[in-house]
Amino acid sequence: MKKYLLLLTVLILSGCSQNENSKEINIYSQRHYDVDEIQYQNFEEKTGIKVNVIKANADELIQRMKNEGEDSPADLFITVDVGKLWQASDMGLLQKFEDESITKNISPELLDKKGYWIPVTYRSRVVVYSKDRVKKEELSTYEDLANKKWRGRLLVRSSSNSYNQALMSSIVANLGAEDTAEWSKGVVSNFARDPKGSDRDQVKAIAAGQGDIAIVNSYYIGLLLSSEKEEELNAGNAVSVFFPNQGENERGAHVNVSGIAIAKNSPNKENAIELIRYLTSDEAQKTYVGNTFEFSVNPNIEPDDIVKAWGEFKKDPLDLNMLGEKRAEAILIFDKTGWK
Amino acid sequence: MEIKSNNIINTKGVNISTVFISLVIVVPLVALLFSVLRVDFDNFYYLWNNLLVDYSLNTIYLVLLTSFFSLIFGIFPAWFISTSKFKGKNLYDIILYLPLAIPTYIMAFTYSDILSYTGPIQSFTRKYMPEISNILNQDYLQIEILAIIMGLALYPYIYTACRISFSLVGSNYVDLCRNLGMSQMKTFFRIILPISRVAIFSGLFLVIMEVLNEYGAVKYFGVNTFTSGIFRSWYSMQDVDTASLLAVSLFIIVLIFFFLERFTSSKYKFNYLVNTNQKSEFSLTNSRRLIIHLICLIPIVFGFLIPVLFIINNVISEFSGINFSKLIDLIFNTLLVSIVSALIIVMIAVLFQFFRKISKSRIVIVFSDIISLTYALPGAVIGLSLILLVTSFPQLINSNIFIGSFFLLIYAYSIRHMAVGISPLKTSFEKHPSSYDDTGTNLGLTPFKLFKKIHLPINKSAIIIAFLLCFIDIMKELPITLILRPFNFDTLAVQTYQYAIEEMIPKSAVYSLSIVMIGSILLIFLKNIVNKYIDVSKG
Repeated sequence: MKKYLLLLTVLILSGCSQNENSKEINIYSQRHYDVDEIQYQNFEEKTGIKVNVIKANADELIQRMKNEGEDSPADLFITVDVGKLWQASDMGLLQKFEDESITKNISPELLDKKGYWIPVTYRSRVVVYSKDRVKKEELSTYEDLANKKWRGRLLVRSSSNSYNQALMSSIVANLGAEDTAEWSKGVVSNFARDPKGSDRDQVKAIAAGQGDIAIVNSYYIGLLLSSEKEEELNAGNAVSVFFPNQGENERGAHVNVSGIAIAKNSPNKENAIELIRYLTSDEAQKTYVGNTFEFSVNPNIEPDDIVKAWGEFKKDPLDLNMLGEKRAEAILIFDKTGWK
Repeated sequence: MEIKSNNIINTKGVNISTVFISLVIVVPLVALLFSVLRVDFDNFYYLWNNLLVDYSLNTIYLVLLTSFFSLIFGIFPAWFISTSKFKGKNLYDIILYLPLAIPTYIMAFTYSDILSYTGPIQSFTRKYMPEISNILNQDYLQIEILAIIMGLALYPYIYTACRISFSLVGSNYVDLCRNLGMSQMKTFFRIILPISRVAIFSGLFLVIMEVLNEYGAVKYFGVNTFTSGIFRSWYSMQDVDTASLLAVSLFIIVLIFFFLERFTSSKYKFNYLVNTNQKSEFSLTNSRRLIIHLICLIPIVFGFLIPVLFIINNVISEFSGINFSKLIDLIFNTLLVSIVSALIIVMIAVLFQFFRKISKSRIVIVFSDIISLTYALPGAVIGLSLILLVTSFPQLINSNIFIGSFFLLIYAYSIRHMAVGISPLKTSFEKHPSSYDDTGTNLGLTPFKLFKKIHLPINKSAIIIAFLLCFIDIMKELPITLILRPFNFDTLAVQTYQYAIEEMIPKSAVYSLSIVMIGSILLIFLKNIVNKYIDVSKG
């Protein structure tokens, strides 16, 4: 028994002891891809700054930061949905940050107009369609997904997914709440089945013939097309990618960024800025696009070949903070119109 | 016959310490209550009007279905293995415990992958049996399928409880029934099942609470349960207070059901008789033997063999990419937190059961029951409540010391998994008549000596069982670790989940296989203890 108590004491103390090393940064991150570990390792080797990470759901990390208050050890907050960055900034958990030498490499429309966060990659929420059963000409805009011609043919995941919430927020920002609710009603009545599964599952469902078109994030198609499994590859090849709203007077496809921000009470701010500088550098940007099929925020860095094959597309120029600001209205619309 | 205990022991101290320790365990709920006080009821009414009725109905349906399947998968094999003699019985007995080593969300992701359009079954039929491939091409992400999958993952709780109970019920009863000319089935339904009610319920109770706190699998299957409502208000509506209110409501609902059940089952109090040494095994006809094999093989094949083979296949295909030093790190982390937390849980649970024995006070009984109900709460909510708790008094506590410390992480595990430790201990402690205590006290034993000389040895098996079950459960734990963990701290479960939600099941395989392997080793150990326990009681 004494031994166990001793072990326990050691554990507790080890958990409490603060690392005195000032050459470090603490990250609260929603990203948990293998590529992130590669980036942090490269950064550590280059700068000698140790990277400490906690990965969890964005809302959990926000709660943790909020409650830790001034004592929070967090230097950086990283998310895969700009809505959560807006949320954190709205709750006063972030600090403004400006550095011309960093932002000059980034497409201006992807930058935060308020100056709290820096985008590191972006992705588009696109429509994919069955090569067999849908002609490209039949597709046009997000708005058109409410058209009766798609009845029983549309696949999408649940409204608890933040990528769907961001898309709905962008539509609220562009069309207004009333028209968006009307749109959502039409979309829901077009569902081939109740929302469920992951983005990849929607693509598989098209391959299985359970629906004809689906709303998914662009990089999942890249992942399927680079799969070593023949059947997944076939599923990826059964669909084509379509960027909506590309017409002359149309606003462009919805995009969302994965971004990084400095915490309000960051204890190692200088080191944090170094990491932001590194993650937006050409080297790190190339590492991102090569591993995750996301788009680089630096317009000069080309996407992966698989992604390039889908062609260039026009991005919705909406202020990305709207994806957070309009979130509450978006949720109401989901619930009101029965998008489960 | 039960002798009325003459309370020589001073029970006041016992009562006070029980209440104190219970409060330490349920104190996070108090933190949630603070949050509830701030609730903006508009959001609650909104959820109620739009979602909660639907979510609650889904929850009831899922609970009923999952209970049904886990009872079917658990009770019948336990009955046949306890009372029949057939080839392979011992092997079956081992493997029937093993699905407990597979976390529910892994079981769910694995099966959805196996059944999916690109999975092995449909790929195979498309290639070689195109005529039936169309029939198999279905949407398998259905609530009923989820219930079967969860039933497969959770039935071992019922199997364990039944194995112990059916064997302890006593060959006396079985012999009697046989002498009266009752068939095996009749004996089972008319006599054994009713008197095993309490034990079966203790297993079922864990199953139901697992269903209630499940989030990953239900979300993936597009099934919205009450817990989805909690996360709807937290993650989507940014309303932590309403989330707390829903969590507290869930706790209260479980509390009501728990006491209702106890109220009704107390009428059926039953003490296990001392067994005879006689083997009470029914003789079998060939056709019956076949049925028994079938009944045992269904949970074995679907609950363990298929998912494990699938995972192993993925490990092989991804073998070149495995990072072994990371794997060893994660195994070490996982073992460390699981061992420490399981030890703490078992110490508290044993102490409480002992207190129950020596103090007949209602307070002790009620409090020692309440602490196991936190199991119904989703792990993330317990994590949140602890964060709220340690940050509520910035003048008194420097939260920096606690958040992200192992102390808080282990504290959270202990709160959450207390029920898993209590369940086997309670059954074991209750089984022994209180005449032991009376005799001991009359012989002049102090409470400590009574505990050391009598209760510790006679409940030894149950204590080890409780430890192993807690260990396995904590090893699979996910949401608490995510929200409370220290920097750079990963466990096997966390790593598995992070690959799985990014739809990289094959990459997660080596980590989930490690969980399954460690769990299986412990479960085989557990099976031996259970069997010894059954035999000793028969002696």
